Amino acid sequence: MKQLVKYFLKRVLLYFLIFVISLSAFFFFINLVPGDPVTRYVQQLEQRYGISTPLTEEIVRKYKEAFGLDKDLFTRYILYIRRLVFEFDFGPSFVAFPKPAYSLIVDALPWSIGLLGTAVLTSWILGIFIGTVIGWKRESKVSNFVLICGLVASQIPSYLLALILVMVFSFGLGLFPMGGAYSAALKPGFSFSFISSLIYHAFLPSMSLILIYVFGVMISQRALVINLLGEDFLKLAEAKGLDKKRLIKRYILRNTLLPQATGLAMSLGFIVNGFFLIEWIFNYPGIGRLFMMAIREMDYNVLMGITVTTMFCVLTANLIIEFLYPLIDPRIRRG
Amino acid sequence: MKALKNSPKFLTGLIIITCLIVLALMEPYINDYRLKGHSPTEIGLYDIFLEPSWEHPLGTDSYGRDVLALLLNGLKYSLFIGFTAGGLATIIAVFLASLAGYKGGKIEAFITVLSNSILIIPSWPILAIIVLFVKKIDLFTLSVILAFFSWAGPSRQIKPQISSLKARPYVDLARVNNFSDLEIMFKEILPNFLPYILVGFSVAVTGSIMAETALRIVGLGPGDIPSLGQVINWAIYSGAMAIGQYLVILIPITFLILIFVSLNLINVGMDEILNPKLKQITGM
Amino acid sequence: MKEPLIEIRDLRVYFRTIYGDARSTDGVSLKIFENEVFGIAGESGCGKSTLVEGVLRLMKPPGYIKSGEVIYKGKNLFELTEEEFNKIRWKEIAYIPQGSMNSLNPVLKVEEQMIDAILSHTDTSKEEAKQIALEALDSVGLPEDVINMYPHELSGGMRQRVCIAMSTCLKPKIIFGDEPVTALDVVMQKLNLQTIMHLKEKIGLTVVMVAHDMAWHAEVCDRMAIMYAGKVVETGPVEEIFLNPLHPYTEGLLNAVPSLKRKFAKSIPGIAPSPLNWPPGCRFHPRCYRKMNICENEEPELKLIDSERYVACHLYNGGNWK
Ligand SMILES: Nc1ncnc2c1ncn2[C@@H]1O[C@H](COP(=O)(O)OP(=O)(O)OP(=O)(O)O)[C@@H](O)[C@H]1O
Ligand SMILES: [Mg+2]
Repeated sequence: MKQLVKYFLKRVLLYFLIFVISLSAFFFFINLVPGDPVTRYVQQLEQRYGISTPLTEEIVRKYKEAFGLDKDLFTRYILYIRRLVFEFDFGPSFVAFPKPAYSLIVDALPWSIGLLGTAVLTSWILGIFIGTVIGWKRESKVSNFVLICGLVASQIPSYLLALILVMVFSFGLGLFPMGGAYSAALKPGFSFSFISSLIYHAFLPSMSLILIYVFGVMISQRALVINLLGEDFLKLAEAKGLDKKRLIKRYILRNTLLPQATGLAMSLGFIVNGFFLIEWIFNYPGIGRLFMMAIREMDYNVLMGITVTTMFCVLTANLIIEFLYPLIDPRIRRG
Repeated sequence: MKALKNSPKFLTGLIIITCLIVLALMEPYINDYRLKGHSPTEIGLYDIFLEPSWEHPLGTDSYGRDVLALLLNGLKYSLFIGFTAGGLATIIAVFLASLAGYKGGKIEAFITVLSNSILIIPSWPILAIIVLFVKKIDLFTLSVILAFFSWAGPSRQIKPQISSLKARPYVDLARVNNFSDLEIMFKEILPNFLPYILVGFSVAVTGSIMAETALRIVGLGPGDIPSLGQVINWAIYSGAMAIGQYLVILIPITFLILIFVSLNLINVGMDEILNPKLKQITGM
Repeated sequence: MKEPLIEIRDLRVYFRTIYGDARSTDGVSLKIFENEVFGIAGESGCGKSTLVEGVLRLMKPPGYIKSGEVIYKGKNLFELTEEEFNKIRWKEIAYIPQGSMNSLNPVLKVEEQMIDAILSHTDTSKEEAKQIALEALDSVGLPEDVINMYPHELSGGMRQRVCIAMSTCLKPKIIFGDEPVTALDVVMQKLNLQTIMHLKEKIGLTVVMVAHDMAWHAEVCDRMAIMYAGKVVETGPVEEIFLNPLHPYTEGLLNAVPSLKRKFAKSIPGIAPSPLNWPPGCRFHPRCYRKMNICENEEPELKLIDSERYVACHLYNGGNWK
């Protein structure tokens, strides 16, 4: 019990450490980059609308004041962190001023988490399943064929697949919608038509993730299974003449679960990276698309807010997975 | 090394990437010949949206540029950025991994947390913001920024190797003979894990090209460097999808996928040979 | 002539490698009789484990059975289907793997692992199975609460005894123990060996015991086989082999055992050959101190020398072995 508590405490501590380090590194990184956001923003306005220079000087000063950018770096850091921690506030949005960046993000976040969560879990489970089968039957031609396909497919960046899918199925064949999360004609609610519209719209975006990540998980699962097949305890389990179902479930799957959970935790960040573009490509109303809109408008606070939010979400997902470890592996449970 | 020749995966990967590199190296000559000295990105050189023909095997785009020329040019830049950023990332990774593996203790713990953080956290938005706010970004700056975000991958390949090599007796032998730490690192350890560095390098190249392409597709980064991502961006924004000009998008995507797949095949092939347990695994 | 309980006929187990086949077990024939303790000895890498795993059909790719038969109760084990063989496994032919202390599933409790085996072969309820498991643990001298523990909570010796308990809990006919007591301290080794022998008496087991250490063979085995380079070079009753080794390799092995007479054990000169490329002729000839011309070209066959002794060596052609 004591060890378990110690384990959890350590995880939580590391979680905060990584969060604080990343957050600070990120903040200083962004703020030390030559060229400040307000100037860049105003420059852009200038280009776009042809506003004359003397006016912009004034605007820049006002904007800087409004966003607290006139203070020195360290004060800004303290202010930022304080606002973040105590008020959970990212500051106002440039574009939707004075609407806070926070509310934009909160509106978008559930869409992303829903789509991403479903896609990742689906591909994780499916990948483990297929990987176990082709690892168990590694000599068969089908397994080798699937493996070779996987070696190719797992290397395609999800956003490129998204482009291909949208091109072929939405533009080319017209089978799927061009974007959005549900048909604009429907009112959100628990109706059959709404939910089927949700699934219909989410299908291609999630497929661009699933079709790739399934193969990634499959390949690692196959390697894990085959590695296990050489293990002494599996030799013994086989010598015991266990039926296949029991053998695979209790002796193989159980033992691959921990590394697969770790793999999931480690690859979340990478998956989210690609997901930003997927949302943009499918015009899906999550934070990825919001991020791209903010990029176009150079909406500094929204960009910062989204980055911090994704960091937070991914790290929390990691922490949750790590909290599950002791359930998976007794060696962690009792030290 | 003899084993590598017998690995179909390694060979396939090597052949594909070599072809791509040769194509990229020959691009200036090919395009010079085909475009009679004009730049591939010159706007309005030809009529717009020409169908594929003998003269323009892939047609022309909405700005009247030869698509084939753009692609070869893009391939050159993508590979160049990938290899520069990948190389830099590998140097960073080797340096930090050696430091961590060799010094151990707090330094190792710190470097591990750092590289894990970069791996765990979605780094692309950060990258995008940096690139967005940097005033003037050129090829080299971009590569440095990319390298900064892609060293964690190779570091994960290299670090365990350094730690295990450190434990081997000849390093102690070298220590007895009073080599300096640096000498041990370069004379004794480095040659032994060169293959792992190569694996790390191709991981970093892949990572850099992926990130760069993602930036360019959404229109971030130096607009005057027409890499494959930029070519795709042009195509998307000129409505190539809507008017059915699929090739303009599909072919750069194919090039990119070929790069990623071939580098990965090289890695898998090397892995199988370096890691005897994996060699058993494939059994092919 | 007595009928053997299990007979191995010209068994070849190879590994596919990128350099060609590794012929690890390369034509082994053995007869094992009911109720005896049969030892297998030989240097590391001579193919002992491969032989045992081959017999038990535990070979995993890249390993495969090249040829051969294992006859048990008149049937060739290699011709049984997976299901048929699974019924015999453990119930009649049990196994203690090499490194048995690391052979337990790390994520399951001892109870679950023992019950798994029992439930797969009998129609007992879970409670009955647990009872059987408890009895088996008791018979190897382990306390009851071990059953609720995970492998990592047990010491190496205890884990080994869990393996022994597990392999005997269904009262099999024959047990193949691949170095069942190595990697422990000597006291523990002796204890566990005694446990096995005690169980042998109690349930009338036949034991095939692979071991590095010839001293263990001397202590518990009735007959034994000496393996070199994937082949059996000599078989016979243990006392006779120890008193009068025929094959120069056996002699070398015995010299390598430290004893009171010899303060310093002598190891056999030269290095063990690779299964990828066995030497031509007699596989031992590059290291043999009694090498003759014929040894370089012609492979000696395993020949009956005396009532029960077989040897594969050109020194003993035509029975003139003195
Ligand atoms: N997966 C494999 N691929 C190739 N060769 C293998 C493989 N497994 C075992 N071998 C070879 O088979 C030979 C016999 O191995 P085996 O494990 O049977 O030896 P052993 O007699 O049991 O040795 P030890 O006393 O050390 O256990 C060895 O030379 C080994 O190199
Ligand atoms: Mg062995």
